Amino acid sequence: MAGELRQRDLLAPLWRVVVAFRLVAWVLAVAGWFRERDDYPGTAAPVAVLVAMAVWTAVVTVAYSRAAGRRTRVTLLDLGVTVLVLAATVATQPAGAFGEGAPIVTSIWVAGPALAMALARGRDGGVAGAVVVWAAVTFLRGYVGDREVFNLTLLVLTAGLLGYAATITRRAELALREAAAAQAAAQERERLGRAVHDGVLQVLAAVRRRGVDPELTRLAAEQEVALRGLLTTGPEVAVGTADLGTALRLLATPDVDVAGPAEPVELPAHTAAELTAAVREALANTAEHAAGAHAWVSLEPADDEVVVVVRDDGPGIPDGRLPAAAGEGHHGVRSSICGRLADLGGSAVLHTAPGQGTEWELTIPRGTPR
Amino acid sequence: MTTVMVVDDHPMWREAVERDLAARGFEVVATAGDAGSAVRRALAVRPDVVVMDLQLGTGSGVDATRDVVAALPGTRVLVLSASAEQADVLEAVKAGASGYLVKSAGADELADAVTRTAAGDAVFSAGLAGLLLGEYRRLQAGPDPGAPQLTERETEVLKLVSRGLSAKAIAERLVLSHRTVENHVQNTLRKLQLHNRVELTRYAIEHGLTDPDSA
Repeated sequence: MAGELRQRDLLAPLWRVVVAFRLVAWVLAVAGWFRERDDYPGTAAPVAVLVAMAVWTAVVTVAYSRAAGRRTRVTLLDLGVTVLVLAATVATQPAGAFGEGAPIVTSIWVAGPALAMALARGRDGGVAGAVVVWAAVTFLRGYVGDREVFNLTLLVLTAGLLGYAATITRRAELALREAAAAQAAAQERERLGRAVHDGVLQVLAAVRRRGVDPELTRLAAEQEVALRGLLTTGPEVAVGTADLGTALRLLATPDVDVAGPAEPVELPAHTAAELTAAVREALANTAEHAAGAHAWVSLEPADDEVVVVVRDDGPGIPDGRLPAAAGEGHHGVRSSICGRLADLGGSAVLHTAPGQGTEWELTIPRGTPR
Repeated sequence: MTTVMVVDDHPMWREAVERDLAARGFEVVATAGDAGSAVRRALAVRPDVVVMDLQLGTGSGVDATRDVVAALPGTRVLVLSASAEQADVLEAVKAGASGYLVKSAGADELADAVTRTAAGDAVFSAGLAGLLLGEYRRLQAGPDPGAPQLTERETEVLKLVSRGLSAKAIAERLVLSHRTVENHVQNTLRKLQLHNRVELTRYAIEHGLTDPDSA
């Protein structure tokens, strides 16, 4: 799977552009030095810098040509090394020469890491890289003139736009992948659903209806409900969220009814999972302490909160039994239900009395919808 | 004797339901395996109650429900459906079904539901109450100012039904009579069905599907 995803990396062409820019910029730097070589007091220092640039260009060419090297860490390292190479150019000119407009041998090669950061981190990464590179060059020059302002604008604009393009590409790729996965899942579910609906479900239903052996009947009913639950498609929800209704309906058994709206109740995936786990814990508690009782799960969404009520018609919990159980080391109820709800910023209230069954009221605040 | 028709696309299931009902004193006058023959046979035999599955091989149980209810005022539809089709159940109830029972319900529960449906009562499971609450919430958030709304009392009653309380238990908790609770429950269903009919008629007139004079 990972290999397949990497192959479909839509950003790869942009990385190739960044690599090509680095190579071309190095050639331009060499040509620039050759043309203006009379402006340099010596030859050894600029040649040494150009060689260092060549080595680093080779390193990033290799790094950025493979998916493993296209990381924020690598681009930050690139930025650090590039600034160091830039700092080394002070050896190519006498003190104060840069302030009088002497050429800097690295030229536009130093813009490379800003472009790489744009691809790795999007618009903000590109702008940050551009500002760092520009600040380093300006520090070397010691003044801010028209040309510096012009360079800054150009650099920020290029890196920012490239980063923006990278972000859009990434989103498009994600959407594409999700759509493909959703379609594949839906097709598979439909195929399985048809097979199960026409075969196994019919037999289970028949076994249950004929009701020869009570134990067999009960098992058939349980499996039938579980299978039907698995076939539930559930409405489509946004990435990172889950439909609490679908999750809770999977908990239905012949002894557990689940009620809720037909419309999806969208919550952050983690919140939905934790809430579902708390409900499962409450149902397990009923199954353990009130064998044969029927339970109901009711999902009641409101604008600012979501309430889930788990009720059973069992014998109820006598006064003082719950704290006592916690004291004896039965942390099930307290930590699993109350703890989970507290972690979600919600609350869990238990209403119970002997002969009245138990009723958990789980409430969580609903954040602002995305 | 109450006459019943069973609609389901599974022959084995159909036979099992038929046998259960016959054993409890109902007269099963017809069965059908798809929407088209369900409507045709219902018109021919005019049963008191149609026990309707929504997942039919060909045609939709929701459309069949609408057609049967429209053509036969004396016939009531009880939806017997798998728990996996919540949206369909809601549509069937809006189209005029008098109640909804999950397929995992036992034979006695089914017999009781058919009896109550024949008597004109709504068969109100916890699941149906949850669906109705959700639908009223959706309508309230929608743009239609004429959409029906629940009174505070009705919301309270529906919530307790969705939590699995019986009408008797609800009556005790809210200090109401048993009959008042039943009326509240029936009203929530009727308001929605009426609204759905008005919507359908309005849609038909707007799209020129019917002559306004005859509507």
